[in-house]
Amino acid sequence: MTNSIAIALAVARKDLTAEWRTRELVPALAQFVVLALIIANFGFQIDARNAPSIAPGVLWMALVFAGLVAFGRAFAAEREQASLEAMLMTPASPVAIFAGKALAATLLLIGCEAVLLPALALFFGTPLSAAIVSAVLLATIGMAALGCLFSAMVARIRARELLLPLLTLPLWIPFIVAGGQAVQVAMGATGNYDQALALLVDFDILFVVLTSLAARFVLDE
Amino acid sequence: MNRYEKGAAAAVGLMALAAGAIFLFAPTDALQGPVQRIFYLHVSSAIAAYGCFAVVLLGGIIYLRNGSLAADRLARAGALVGLVFTTVTLVMGMLWAKPIWGTFWAWDARLTSTLVLWIIYAGYLLVRRLAEPGRQAARFAAVVGIFGFIDVPIVHFSVTWWRTQHPGPIIVNDALPGEMLATFLFTMACTLALATAMIAIRYRIETLADGPVPAVAEKATAVTTGQREPVK
Repeated sequence: MTNSIAIALAVARKDLTAEWRTRELVPALAQFVVLALIIANFGFQIDARNAPSIAPGVLWMALVFAGLVAFGRAFAAEREQASLEAMLMTPASPVAIFAGKALAATLLLIGCEAVLLPALALFFGTPLSAAIVSAVLLATIGMAALGCLFSAMVARIRARELLLPLLTLPLWIPFIVAGGQAVQVAMGATGNYDQALALLVDFDILFVVLTSLAARFVLDE
Repeated sequence: MNRYEKGAAAAVGLMALAAGAIFLFAPTDALQGPVQRIFYLHVSSAIAAYGCFAVVLLGGIIYLRNGSLAADRLARAGALVGLVFTTVTLVMGMLWAKPIWGTFWAWDARLTSTLVLWIIYAGYLLVRRLAEPGRQAARFAAVVGIFGFIDVPIVHFSVTWWRTQHPGPIIVNDALPGEMLATFLFTMACTLALATAMIAIRYRIETLADGPVPAVAEKATAVTTGQREPVK
């Protein structure tokens, strides 16, 4: 068990080191989400009155598509250099390798959120509260587990750019439902914030457990 | 006529009988008028679709456990037939919603989760098409099928807590008059028979599409790779 955790951390550190040395993904994602905000501004004609009702939707749209890009890249380097096969040949358990990849992808997406949330508050004038940050972070955990599972899957499939959104987005909807509700309430809509947050925690637990059960079948292929 | 043709003919005959019951036997709804007759096939095909996706789930779990090719073919057949019935449910529901709700679509739990269901299994079929045929496609699709089946009730319940428009269950609440209930139960039985016949035929097509797998080769592969699924 401790061995598996050490392997997962080593894999995550490897990915984060690679990202730190190239500095490709997080800056690209940051630009991507700022562009999403610009497009939303022109699409919605945002002003001080309608911003609180539109901002949650813009936040989740930008986050979901940034997440697709981030998780789509999670296995790109491994695929290009066929290093996943090498990692799987080691005695390390596939679940530990998967957990490491998922952890690194989660941290990279959080790096992107660290740009998205302040930019949203800056450009849309919405609050940047702990309530919003915790809802987004909780959703990120489960979304990352699912996103990495399907990213590992499509890495072996043709037309992977097409397939990743089709497989991932429907399974992310529970997180968007609960996370969307939480952020709407945090930005002033009526509703039950605690219930939405509790749901997010439930979904996180469920999908993290399920993806770790399924990871073996996807990675081993 | 082979047994598949006979099965298909019997299923079509049963559906014609169900249509007779829906249009001739069942009384016209006092409030909604004739459009309420959509109810019988709408709910029946939804139940048939759930049944088909349960087949996909079971087939996927069995395949992941022991690599049974039959389970995988059954899952493939179930996904396609289930997608057809989901389409029927959605289209008939929209046709019913327009005169009664005044709109084709409302974002409520039932409608949203059914649409998500449709998209998930359309993705399932796409995985089957794009992944390398054989072991890879079967394994990936099994994972998609399992996650899909779990996701749909979650979407359903998470949306329920905030908005609903679609009526709740009326069969179990004993809200239907006797003749309507009888028509509904008959239509449901016929629709389930149709779904079974479609899955059986599709299973046969998948078997033929897989090509002959000589028993000896299968055993030899199992010995060399330590797995029971033949590698293509």
